[in-house]
Amino acid sequence: MKDLKQFSDEINKCVLCGTCRGVCPTFGVINREPASARGKAALCGAYLNKEIELSDVFIKQMNECVQCMACKTACPNDVNVPDIILSARAEIAKEKGLPFVKSFILGNILDSARLMPATMKFASKLQGFLFKDVPEESGLHRRFPLPLIDERRLVPPLAERFFLEVRSQKPAPAGNKHGSEARSQENSSQFTVHSSRPRIGFFAGCLINYMLPSIGEASLKVLESAGASVIVPLDQHCCGMPALGSGDIETAKSLALKNLEAFEQYELDYITTACATCSDGLKRRFKELLYDEGEDVRKRVERFSSKVRDITELLINELRITNYELRILNPKSEIRNPKSIVTYHDPCHLRRGQGIADEPRELIEMSGAKLKEMSHPCRCCGLGGSFNITNYDFSMEINRNKAEDIKNTGADIVATACPGCMIQIKDGLHQLGADTKVVHVVELLADNTNRQ
Amino acid sequence: MLSQNVIRELTRIAGEENISTSKEDLICYSYDATNQKFLPDAVVFPKNVDEISLIIQMANREGFPVVPRGAGSGFSGGSLPVEGGVVVSLERMNKILKIDADNLIAVVEPGVVTGEFQWEVERLGLFYPPDPSSLKFCTIGGNAAECAGGPRAVKYGVTKDYVLGLEVVLPTGEIINTGAQTLKGVVGYDLTKLMVGSEGTLGIVTKIVLKLLPLPEATKTMLAVFSDIRDAATVASKIISSKIIPSTLEFMDKSSISCVDDYASMGLPADIEAVLLIEVDGDRDLIEKQAALIQKICRDNGAKEVRIAGDKKEVKKLWQVRRAISPALAKLKPNKINEDIVVPRSKIPDAIIGVRMVAEKYNLINANFGHAGDGNIHVNIMIDKTNTDELRRAEKAVKEIFELVLGLGGTISGEHGIGISKMPYIGMELSHTAIDVMKKIKQVLDPKGILNPGKIFPHTQLTSCNSNLQV
Repeated sequence: MKDLKQFSDEINKCVLCGTCRGVCPTFGVINREPASARGKAALCGAYLNKEIELSDVFIKQMNECVQCMACKTACPNDVNVPDIILSARAEIAKEKGLPFVKSFILGNILDSARLMPATMKFASKLQGFLFKDVPEESGLHRRFPLPLIDERRLVPPLAERFFLEVRSQKPAPAGNKHGSEARSQENSSQFTVHSSRPRIGFFAGCLINYMLPSIGEASLKVLESAGASVIVPLDQHCCGMPALGSGDIETAKSLALKNLEAFEQYELDYITTACATCSDGLKRRFKELLYDEGEDVRKRVERFSSKVRDITELLINELRITNYELRILNPKSEIRNPKSIVTYHDPCHLRRGQGIADEPRELIEMSGAKLKEMSHPCRCCGLGGSFNITNYDFSMEINRNKAEDIKNTGADIVATACPGCMIQIKDGLHQLGADTKVVHVVELLADNTNRQ
Repeated sequence: MLSQNVIRELTRIAGEENISTSKEDLICYSYDATNQKFLPDAVVFPKNVDEISLIIQMANREGFPVVPRGAGSGFSGGSLPVEGGVVVSLERMNKILKIDADNLIAVVEPGVVTGEFQWEVERLGLFYPPDPSSLKFCTIGGNAAECAGGPRAVKYGVTKDYVLGLEVVLPTGEIINTGAQTLKGVVGYDLTKLMVGSEGTLGIVTKIVLKLLPLPEATKTMLAVFSDIRDAATVASKIISSKIIPSTLEFMDKSSISCVDDYASMGLPADIEAVLLIEVDGDRDLIEKQAALIQKICRDNGAKEVRIAGDKKEVKKLWQVRRAISPALAKLKPNKINEDIVVPRSKIPDAIIGVRMVAEKYNLINANFGHAGDGNIHVNIMIDKTNTDELRRAEKAVKEIFELVLGLGGTISGEHGIGISKMPYIGMELSHTAIDVMKKIKQVLDPKGILNPGKIFPHTQLTSCNSNLQV
């Protein structure tokens, strides 16, 4: 992982033209230069030139970025301001330490295979007490002050049974094992095993595992119907992107390594996930994080990352899913209201992070729904990982445009390919009083949207 | 440096959240698109004309410079606080106050982003033509201060042709209204035209009355490709002399266009030397006729290929490439001497070939693009400012280019303004008497010299804090 000093040339590539002011969502809300990507790059440059220190103002500016990459895409000189900001956050964490609550969660809970599910399980049991239901909504409102969670925040309930927990009770069928897999059989749930089919490792990610397991189940169903053999390694961890976003490089590295180990036990053709942030992390960030860990690790992570595909691109480009396969999956799909209109939100980490835009749209049309584009489909939803927790109002203000764009389409359903975006959009639509249903593209395909 | 008293008073005027003296904020208001930095002593974010008036009155009493600033996207240093003082950021004054579809006018605050305003009026079937390449982020206040142009100027003119009236805070703090909300008006001197293009040295604009047009029914976009730069320049002149006024007629040479990443995916022939991006707009039948005629002129005069953009996506891409050129030139060399010359339209071939020859003579990398249709070419000399020999050669080349342009009957700046970057050359174009008249106007309006000092007229020594190029 490059440190801030190594970004010096990148910062100097910025000619201060101001193009990023037209696309930056945090600038769009604050409307002051320091909030723009140009301002942040200038501040990082000034810090490297020792004109300023890691002051509170500097730290605040670096935290006010949703990492949507709109600036990088628009920049005529391809200045990678999002990564400059990430490395500044890492510098801040290194020099100043992380705030206690954040560092405890990232370093102790997220990084532990036992503690994380245990903590979440405890929270899941507790939530009935802490939150109250919003009538006619699947979300929850909190009853009491809780650290990190804003009072108005509509959060999806933690699942009663986590995705990986359910999977662990469906052990792999006997036979068809590949060498070393025999040893790790207990550590995986093999959804289907056919020796002739492409072998896919499924990475759940925290939001799907703990909050929206139905997306995970839908993914497995769709992957199977598309002709894949799916394996869910049970000792997988958080992808580490929340840690990276907070500047906690060590935790992010440790999680990347643990995930590498979890998936390396299987002979896999592809590794996939239904979370755009996770797929971006697995595909792109793991390589950067583990670059300095020696030749051997570098080779391993290269091999791992080269197999990663977001589920939308995997289905279209590699498994080449067909209408026929979807009809087998949904024999009753002809009864779906043919008038149902779906609009699509491009997750930043899918569209700009991985350049995937057509595949999810193709899948929506394949599902039989009519796709109607909103006015700015790739405008950020404002979640920005933990940005939403630390800057709730700000985050929802960014979301307001998104919610209005969705509402203005008149669509019945908004589909996207990231559970994070889904949670944020649901909250935004709720606050706007819109009843547009929010689903993941794979749920549309598996037709189990009624389950959420 | 500002006294504690001044800071306290500014805080009282604008409110605590709307003033900053933190080093971090000052750094963010120290630069513009010239890539030069001058630290102010404070930055203030007023919300209305009265606050600006009070700030300026205090500046007159206490004697500190006041520098108005929109998006900081200018190319001549108009918003740089070269003598320190207070930057008055107009980012908070960003409301469209009125769009009057019956009378085809609009009233806006200066911080409104040009592109957002265009989008709003176009939704109502109206049209605000001025389209600087920075339209997605520059502000109308900045456009008015610098009299910004853009590709559509060939048919529709520049910002000053759309400003009917202004509310202005004078450098002494009084508030006046200039012009009228009507299309005509000859009551007294035309102070509106005096203010537009005065680069924030004669007043801070707080309200702008703009003329609107009906949105043209249709547009057609064409790309003509040439393997000889002279042919492209000749075609640009010929289209105009054939009495067709396209809505845009943009010239881009090979070095400019090849800096833009998207260029590679356009699938253009390898041996191109220049392209013309031509757009016609208006009545559907008429533009078909005009487009056919333009294509014929292109083909008869050496165009290798003429493409017609099929759909909106293609048009958008062509314009993205065009608008990305200026900042993307940094890929050629780290520093850019960015000139903004205009020549009579029949002289475009002479200007383009002449500039090339000067660049070759001094062994400099040169990229030219711009609004050939109105004779306005952005001449860029790309250098590395740490190479003093190259810098010296570039300075000589710029002087020679200006001599060439003035010899052809042109002007040294079409739409960027003088600011600080063209200050040393103003005497090449204007007589002593003309400069004196301008200085007297400045003296009358701003007797204490507090508003945006150190601009346009060369009289002060500049000390940029990153010792950037001063050409």
